[in-house]
Amino acid sequence: MSRQRLILPTVRRRSFLQGAAALGGAAGLSALGMARAFAQEPEKPREIIVRAWGGSWVESLKAGVSDSFTKMTGIAVRHDLTEDNEIQPKIWAAVAQKRIPPIHVNWDTTTNATKSALRGVTEDLSDLPNLKNVTELAKPVGLDGYPIVNTYGYVYVLAYRPSAFPNGAPKSWKELLDPKFKGRIAFYNDGIGFHFPAQVAGGGKLEDIPGNMQPAWDFIAKMKEQQPLLGEDPDFTTWFQKGEIDAACTISTNAREARKNGIDIAWVIPEEGAKFDTDGLWIPKGLPENELYWAKQYINHALTKEAQQVWLDGLGLPGVVPGLTPPADLINDPSYPTKEEDFSHLIRISSKIQVENESDWFAKFKAIMQG
Amino acid sequence: MRAARTAYPLTWRIMDVLEAFAAFVWPTSFRRAIPYLLLAPALLLVGLLVLGLIQIGDLSLRTLDTSTFLLSENYTLANYRKALTEPLFVVVATRSLTGSLIVTVVTLIFAFPYAYLMVRTRSAGLRKFLLIALFLPFFIGQVVRAYGWLIILGNQGMVNEALGLIGVAPLRLLYNYPAVLFGLVQYMLPFAVLMLAPALTAIPEELETAAASLGANWVHSFIHVVLPLARPGLVGAGLVVVTLSLTDFAMPAILGGGSQDFIANAIYDQFFRTSDQGLGATLALMLVALGSLLVGIVFTLFGAGTLAMGRARQ
Repeated sequence: MSRQRLILPTVRRRSFLQGAAALGGAAGLSALGMARAFAQEPEKPREIIVRAWGGSWVESLKAGVSDSFTKMTGIAVRHDLTEDNEIQPKIWAAVAQKRIPPIHVNWDTTTNATKSALRGVTEDLSDLPNLKNVTELAKPVGLDGYPIVNTYGYVYVLAYRPSAFPNGAPKSWKELLDPKFKGRIAFYNDGIGFHFPAQVAGGGKLEDIPGNMQPAWDFIAKMKEQQPLLGEDPDFTTWFQKGEIDAACTISTNAREARKNGIDIAWVIPEEGAKFDTDGLWIPKGLPENELYWAKQYINHALTKEAQQVWLDGLGLPGVVPGLTPPADLINDPSYPTKEEDFSHLIRISSKIQVENESDWFAKFKAIMQG
Repeated sequence: MRAARTAYPLTWRIMDVLEAFAAFVWPTSFRRAIPYLLLAPALLLVGLLVLGLIQIGDLSLRTLDTSTFLLSENYTLANYRKALTEPLFVVVATRSLTGSLIVTVVTLIFAFPYAYLMVRTRSAGLRKFLLIALFLPFFIGQVVRAYGWLIILGNQGMVNEALGLIGVAPLRLLYNYPAVLFGLVQYMLPFAVLMLAPALTAIPEELETAAASLGANWVHSFIHVVLPLARPGLVGAGLVVVTLSLTDFAMPAILGGGSQDFIANAIYDQFFRTSDQGLGATLALMLVALGSLLVGIVFTLFGAGTLAMGRARQ
């Protein structure tokens, strides 16, 4: 009887997932246990497609989540390296036209994913068993249920070349205004990660976001005089490696990647603070039932302690499962917050405010930098 | 008496059958339709483009609702107002237009002597070398070429290394407006040479000889004979270069360091970064309009005849 239930409608499968979670929790949710459960589940697709960022990002995902998922289920995982911004309109168009979306799982920034959730193109993930074991960070703020599951947090640090700062690590974002850094600093080309610290460095208050961000724009205008380079994640690593820049506002993972490649590089959280944000996983609507089921299993697997440990060791980022061990090189590192006090210098603004205002902020940053 | 079989061979009979079949499928009275039939592929292509433009036009009249990330149901001109009044778009449009004009002038200046030498040289070896040098870049995509310039002109690139040998500190040769224009000129050069070469080939060499025999030196002959006769090629090459430069995406993105965007980069941002397809569509339509306006001005100033169109009627 229970077996018939397992292969019948979606609701029952979801009930099963919850039941399996309880069972898994009691049994320690061993990989073997899950494998047994999967054996009774819907037809397995030959592969599932997971959109990912390239370089060390996809390598970490593969090592931590995809390979072990394939080993456990026999389902191959193909990584689609289309940029997150470019896959978004493709998914939106597929859902609007009632076509099967081009990917099964989207690894996305929470802000971007929130846009898709607001548009109504994301599947609800509230029934994932492993959500019981995650921290508050996994829950998207300002949205009902779990249209996205946040999987880790990250910090937009001030990464720098120590040789360019002979007096010691920079303490403030304002140090980048030193004329010697003209043409030697870099930001994201839409300013992401820098808007909020700039608000503080410009003499403004975080509480004034989004109502009054003039201090941020004034500070960014000063920074424009330094002729910064503007790019995307891979650019920062390349620019540090090729000696094009001395400092950048970038995700710590990129700086760490450059350091792994032998570049002398360090990073700090300046006194004005640094932006803390999250990335997550979500599933687009329109997948066949069996593929949706296995896509959910992939995300569920990404929330296990074992998968998170390997995946996030590679990225050097704090996950959403309690008890993860930080990589040796990041113990007590400000870019790897684990305790309450670690967050005191980090700036968090709700996804809702970011999503509603992001276009205007990007446009304003661009207007200053392109002017 | 029976006619010999060879009097009307089998192959002729087959041809008769085929001709009868052709006459059945395409009667003589249909012959007038042949020119229109030849137009069909062009009409199909243009029709598809027009359909796409209609859809883009529809998008351009809708605004983005950031609470649902859907476009509005009602039509409004808000995107056009924004595109024409936002300083960002004015700056980017001005940069694109100015850049494309500079690139066109510089490219034609470099392309003309190249094409002239290629056409007029008596050395088959030199002509082959110039042809190979012309076609080789076509096998290397624009993005790869741009990355090549990153390697050559970067802080640790070949040029700065060479400068270092004579004690010059590394110069910032990349990620600025001149770098973008430089990349575009290098990219456009083969297109311009290819457009100029047929026009120069069409100029009889005897005309230059005649001018010389009448006392014109090489400069006079070039200015008064070659240049006017090369006008169709110059106008054609100029049109190709100016439109391709105006709409370019990769060179500003790669060599501009993020701060030298052209209109295509701004369109990309709207479609893919801010998810505002309405504003992106508006900018795309305005780019089409700007390009068409440029082509219209050229035709008005020089006439379509400069492209050797309608020559038979002259």
